[in-house]
Amino acid sequence: MQVRIGIFLCDCGESLKNIDFSRIRGDLQRLEDIAFVDISHNLCLEEGVKAMTSRILAENINRVVIGACSPELCEHSFSRLLKGLRLNPSLLSLANIREQCSWAHEGDVTGKALELMRMAVNKARFLQPVEKKDIPVNKEVLVVGGGFSGMRSALELSRLGLRTTLVERESVSGGKLGEFESFHGIETTPEEMLSSTRKAVKENADIKVLTSAEVTRVEGQVGDFTASIGRGEEKVSQSFGAIIFATGYMTKILPQDFQLKPDVNIISQRKLVEMLQAPGKLERRPGTIGFVLDVSDENSRLPILSTLNNALAVKERLGSEVYVFCKSLKVDSEGVEKLYREARERGVVFLKFEEKPRISKEDGRVKVEARDVLLGEEVTLLCDSLVAEEKVLPPEGTEALSSLLNIGTDSAGFYQDENVHLYPVASERKGIFFVGGCKGDLDFTRTLADISSATMSIYKLLSPEKVIVEVEKVKVEPEKCRACLTCVRVCPHGAIQMVRVDTEKEVAKIYDLACDGCGICAAICPAKAIRFEGYADEQILAEVEAIGESL
Amino acid sequence: MNREDNKIVAFCCEHSAYQVADKAGRMRLHYPDNVRIIRVPCAGRVDVQHILKAFEKGAAGVLVMGCQEGACQHLTGNTRAKKRVKYAEDLLKEVGIDGGRVKMVNLAPDMAQRFIREVKEMAEKIEGEMRR
Repeated sequence: MQVRIGIFLCDCGESLKNIDFSRIRGDLQRLEDIAFVDISHNLCLEEGVKAMTSRILAENINRVVIGACSPELCEHSFSRLLKGLRLNPSLLSLANIREQCSWAHEGDVTGKALELMRMAVNKARFLQPVEKKDIPVNKEVLVVGGGFSGMRSALELSRLGLRTTLVERESVSGGKLGEFESFHGIETTPEEMLSSTRKAVKENADIKVLTSAEVTRVEGQVGDFTASIGRGEEKVSQSFGAIIFATGYMTKILPQDFQLKPDVNIISQRKLVEMLQAPGKLERRPGTIGFVLDVSDENSRLPILSTLNNALAVKERLGSEVYVFCKSLKVDSEGVEKLYREARERGVVFLKFEEKPRISKEDGRVKVEARDVLLGEEVTLLCDSLVAEEKVLPPEGTEALSSLLNIGTDSAGFYQDENVHLYPVASERKGIFFVGGCKGDLDFTRTLADISSATMSIYKLLSPEKVIVEVEKVKVEPEKCRACLTCVRVCPHGAIQMVRVDTEKEVAKIYDLACDGCGICAAICPAKAIRFEGYADEQILAEVEAIGESL
Repeated sequence: MNREDNKIVAFCCEHSAYQVADKAGRMRLHYPDNVRIIRVPCAGRVDVQHILKAFEKGAAGVLVMGCQEGACQHLTGNTRAKKRVKYAEDLLKEVGIDGGRVKMVNLAPDMAQRFIREVKEMAEKIEGEMRR
C-alpha cells in the first residue's frame, strides 16, 4: 500500500519561539509521500483534536507524524485518538520538539527541529500495524508456602473471588509466626493470629491446602502456568493463572560472627521464646540476660524486631537485667523507634560497640567484654544467658526454585528485592509474585502491604478472564530462525519458548502476554529473525539515516 | 567546522535516560544542540549495527544511555548494552576512530545534571579533536 504521511506540528500555544514552524513546514512538504503538513497551536486541547480528526479523515492518510511535546506526555492520548479513527495506533511516529529541542537549547533551533521531524518521518515509512487480541487466562492462583503470608494471601484472593491452591512443604501450615512470643503493643498474640488465620483458611471453600507437598516443576507463561506438585509418591499437575511465592526465610546463628558456639548459656531467640512461654520449667530465674547483635548488613529488620520484643518480654515476665550489645539499630520499621524507647525506659541497657565483643565462659556464665564507644570505656558483663543474633537467610530450596523459575536472586540470596523497577512484589516474570520473608528484609507491616499489593496485582491481571495484548509486537520470523536458543537464554522475562512447526523444525516463539517489550532478543539474535515493531532494526536505522542528511 | 556538523547520537532508554533528557529540557538546563536522541525501549535494544550506522552517517559520537546497574527494568539490558558498546568501541579502534567516541552512560531518571555533563563532555571532546 502506498504510504501517505500526514504531519502535525504543535507550537504549544505559540510558545516555542525559537523554532520557525513555517520554514519547517515548507521543507517537510518537499519530502516524498507527504499528504499535508499542519501547524496547530494546541494539539492536546479539544479544538486541536477536532482539527486533527477532520484532517485525518479527509485526507485518507495511513501514517501520522506528530511533532509536539514529549511522547511520555502525549503518546497515550494520540494513540487513543488514532484508535478512535480506526487507524492502528502503531502507525504513529512522534518527534519531541519541545522538551528535547526548543526548551533544551538557546537560540534558534529550527535546524534541529527539522531534523527531529525528518527522523520521525523516516521511521514512519516503515511502521506496520499491530493488532490487538483477547487472550483467555486461568483464574486459579497457586500460593507456595503455607506460612502466615501465604495463608493471608490466599484469604485475600478468595475475598476477590479467585480460587487458590496452597502448597506447604511441612506437614502443618503456619510457618515462622508461631516462633514469636508477642508483638509488644499488640493485644493479639502471634499464636492467636495464627490459629484464627488457620481456621479461616480451613473453612474457606476457595482454598485448597496441600501439606507435605512441594512444587517440582513450573512450565508455561502468565495466564497459563502448569505446575507439577509432588506429594510423597503421587504427583499432580495443574494449571494456574498466576503464582505467589511466600516461601519465607530461615534463621541461623552464624558462629563465626562472634566466635561463639551455641550451648546451654548461648542460646537462640527461639530458645529464649521457649523459655518465656514456659517459665515454670526453668531451674532458676536468669538474673542477667545479654543480647548481641551485629548489624553490619542491610537485612536486619527482623533480628532487631525480635530482640526488642523479646527483651521487653524478659523484663516483664522474668524481671531479669537485660543488656543489648549492638553496633547500630535499624529502627525504620513501623513502631520500632517507639519500641526502642520503651525498652530503654523499662531499663534495658544498650551498649554500642565498634569492634566485635570478646565472648568467653567463666564459672558457667558467659563473659562479654566490649568497648562501649559512647562511654569510651571497656565494659565487662557476666550474664546467665547470652542470646546470639540469628542471621536471616533464604530458606532451603530457594536456589533450586529460582533456577526452576528462571528468576534471579539478590546479593544475599533472597528473591530479588533490589531492582527499583520491580519493587515491591513483582518479579521479572509476569504473573509471578513474592511476598513476605522470601524477599529478605521483612517486618509485619511490610508483609501485610506486600500481600495486598500482590493480591491486587493478580486481581487486576486475572479478574477480567481475558487480557488484551498486542499480537506479535515482537515476533520471531520462523523462516529465519535457526533455533540457536540465544533468545530463550537471554530473555529476562522468560517469555520465549521453543515450539515445533513441523516434524523437522522447532522455532522460538514469543508469548505476547509474558513479553515486556525490551527488545534484548531482537538486538542479540544472530540471524536477525526477531522483529520488534516500533523499534525494528530498519526503523531505528531509518531514524539514524535522517541524521546529517541534507534536503 | 561548526558544531552542527559534529553530531552526537544518543540512544536513550525510555525508562531512564529519555526521561532525564525531558527533565533537563523542562528545567531549561541547556546543553549542546548537536545531540540527536533516539528513543529505545531499553538500552539492551541497541545493537552494534545501530552504533556503526550512526558513524557511517557521519555522527562524531554515540552515547548509549540506560538505567543504572542493578536497576534495569529488564534486568540485564544495561549490562548487555555495555558489552555491545565495548565491542563497537573495539571495532572503531581497528578502523582508526578513537575509542572514546562511543560511550555507555548509566542514569537514574532524575539525573539531569549528570546527563548534561556527559553530553557536554562528549561535545567538548569531539570539538577538541576536530580542532587538532
